[in-house]
Amino acid sequence: MTDILDLPFDVTPDPDEFIKAAMEWHFNPETGSPFWLRKAETLDFDPRADVKSHHDLWLFPNVTNELRDVPARDLLPRAYGIGDVLGVFESGGTTGAPKRVLCTKDWMAKLLDWSCANLDLFGFPQDADWLGVLPTGPHIVGELFRRSAAARGGLGFTIDLDPRWVKKVIAQGRQREADAYAEHLIDQLEFVLRTQPIGVLTITPPLLERLARRPELVDLVNDKVKAIRWGGTQLDQDTRDVYKNDIFPDVTLYGHYGSTMILGIAGERAGLTDDDPCVFDTFSPYVTFAVIDPKARRPVPYGERGQVVMNHVSKALFLPNNLERDLATRIEPLPGKVGDAVAGIAPVTRFEEEEVIEGVY
Amino acid sequence: MADLDALLPNGNYRSRTRTAVTDVTGAEVAQLSSVPTLLVTRAMDTLRDTDPMELDKRLAALRYAGELFATGSVDGMPAEEYFLLAARIGGLPITVIREGAEVAARRLAQIGDSISLARPHGAVADWRDARTCKGSAVWTRRGEVFSVHASGTHPGAHSLWPEALALGYRVAVRPTRREPLTPYRMVAALRAAGFGPDQVVLLPTDQAAGDAILAGADLAYGGDDIIRKYADDPAVLQQQPGRSKILITEDVDWRDYVDVIVSSVANHAGGGCVNTTGVLVEGDPTPLAEAVASRLAELPSLPPEHPDAVLPVQQLASAQALDRFLRSKAEGTRSWLGGDGILHDLGDGSAVLRPAVHQVDRPDSPQLGAEMPFPCVWIGPWIRADGIEPLQDTLVLTVATEDERLVDQLMAEPGIGNVFVGRHPTHWTEPGLPHDGYLADFLMRTKSVIRG
Repeated sequence: MTDILDLPFDVTPDPDEFIKAAMEWHFNPETGSPFWLRKAETLDFDPRADVKSHHDLWLFPNVTNELRDVPARDLLPRAYGIGDVLGVFESGGTTGAPKRVLCTKDWMAKLLDWSCANLDLFGFPQDADWLGVLPTGPHIVGELFRRSAAARGGLGFTIDLDPRWVKKVIAQGRQREADAYAEHLIDQLEFVLRTQPIGVLTITPPLLERLARRPELVDLVNDKVKAIRWGGTQLDQDTRDVYKNDIFPDVTLYGHYGSTMILGIAGERAGLTDDDPCVFDTFSPYVTFAVIDPKARRPVPYGERGQVVMNHVSKALFLPNNLERDLATRIEPLPGKVGDAVAGIAPVTRFEEEEVIEGVY
Repeated sequence: MADLDALLPNGNYRSRTRTAVTDVTGAEVAQLSSVPTLLVTRAMDTLRDTDPMELDKRLAALRYAGELFATGSVDGMPAEEYFLLAARIGGLPITVIREGAEVAARRLAQIGDSISLARPHGAVADWRDARTCKGSAVWTRRGEVFSVHASGTHPGAHSLWPEALALGYRVAVRPTRREPLTPYRMVAALRAAGFGPDQVVLLPTDQAAGDAILAGADLAYGGDDIIRKYADDPAVLQQQPGRSKILITEDVDWRDYVDVIVSSVANHAGGGCVNTTGVLVEGDPTPLAEAVASRLAELPSLPPEHPDAVLPVQQLASAQALDRFLRSKAEGTRSWLGGDGILHDLGDGSAVLRPAVHQVDRPDSPQLGAEMPFPCVWIGPWIRADGIEPLQDTLVLTVATEDERLVDQLMAEPGIGNVFVGRHPTHWTEPGLPHDGYLADFLMRTKSVIRG
């Protein structure tokens, strides 16, 4: 029964068979996590009997807020040993106390395979070194960055950025301090970019804008870098045009949209034109999105704006119905995939009574 | 449908994301581009890297730009078409736009004289002046890049800041989304007249990119949402409401001032900071209020493009909001005009904002400073014992009095911007005279220089 949970990344399981197997895994007392086994006792349905399709995930409550307090060990399915764990990771802390999840080695391996295949579609180089200005911890993006570089035969150079600090500083109106921090990050980036054969740059759009204000760094990027992978905040289409047409004409731009709460990222869809918005596809059926009207708890029609709900269903983690802070346009998924693709991500300005601040992250 | 592009250092820029510009009926008449932050910072950097043109070239270009703006074809749009469209978008009568454009042209033509008048008597304009050999003050810029965040819809709102270009600044203009056509035309005219695209730019933006305009400039000026956010910054000059007033003492006959009051309240459609908001009269204000009300009641309700239009027009919903606001503001006052509503619904989604006259019973009534974007005046009593305190916070004060001691006090009061003694409406002005102090007071400083 669990074989369907262990398929290689490029074999897509039947989504409903997959969900049934996942329910068996996470709610069987032999294999499930202490967290979910406890939780199951409070549900008015039996996940192993009643959840038969991807759609039935709606039955579950959104338990994400409990991940702020629950001991992280309780999240590990019993069938795993602690030695199978790659690490414990935290959400951005944008909306209050951080939430924690565990990532296992087998999940990361599968995610990397999927992600690398997408990078190949965009012509990302092999054997090039990577430079990332991103949170190296406690969020998952740093881990994913270093492993992506290694998986493609490169070294991963990192400049750490602390998004929680930046957001706090901006919330307090200390814009100058936030600016100084951002410039400090660019200064550090320059040391690596100048001296190392960097072929891939991973960076947030606000920091890429700062980089683009320094002509000598623009020249360095154009000399060395083959691809820029951006994420963390959004890159609007007008700004993307300027990069493609004027500033980095020969550099591949590739976006990803991630969350620690899905243990990974959604990647930019390949094969679209410059006139299309940037569309993100998930690693379905393991990671799925729904774009909904949060009041009606119903998906909005394709092409309309709504709030993003994220599901993660793998052997490592079960986390359904996580209502994220982001708004997006609902886009049809690729053929044969469940869940929604998304475009035009933008944060809601207030979320769970906390003001959302984007900062440099 | 007009496309209002951004005007960047490397030419016109049309974004994918655009905002609809509507006329007073709510119909879309233009699409305004929006410059992303990345291009804002690049434009601001370019302005900073550019040297100003020679002074005589700047002055010649300003003069020509004024002519183009008021009478020429700019970016293919003839002046008459601009007047019509600006009236339809902003709701000011077409004659007000036309006259405003003529005034702007006159200001730009005389800008060289105007800045000379603003220069301190002891300062020379250039360090090469022979007087610096023996030691002299030299008038110099406080920065290089100036950003303008004007919120007005009158062409006059865009005839003051070109002084910064005359003084050698490079200028970035963020147009208001409500009426971006006038700043577009001014910047396009300046470019057609000889200013390089790296000297003056038009940057329509959202809020975040608007912050980047302000951050990229040395000094900023205007009245939009961005400016209000940074109003405490000494590098920011905020345009304030005018709360202009008229004071009439009992040694003059108020009947001789009814024309001046009516003109002060209603000229230019009554929405400017130099239009009178409050009138204080020594003695009983009742007959004066009655006389002013009967005169203002005669003004016709017409759409803004009508040649006889004199009153402002707005979209019905915002006009209704203003009407409600006025009624709540007017509680406790005696209404002479407009008390039962100021709207004249034109039936096409727009409404004329008709004049309002109210009588208050004290010189310190808060209503005396309640400035509205249409002819609206609050008239109240004043006695000598009240002193000049009720007149503080006034951009233009017209005073009708024989009392020189009182005029002395008004001149000395720092809260009064300009003092007109006698029969001069509060909107009177001439090129070369300060509006709210000289703009150059904010833009320039003096340095001691000796050489040789």
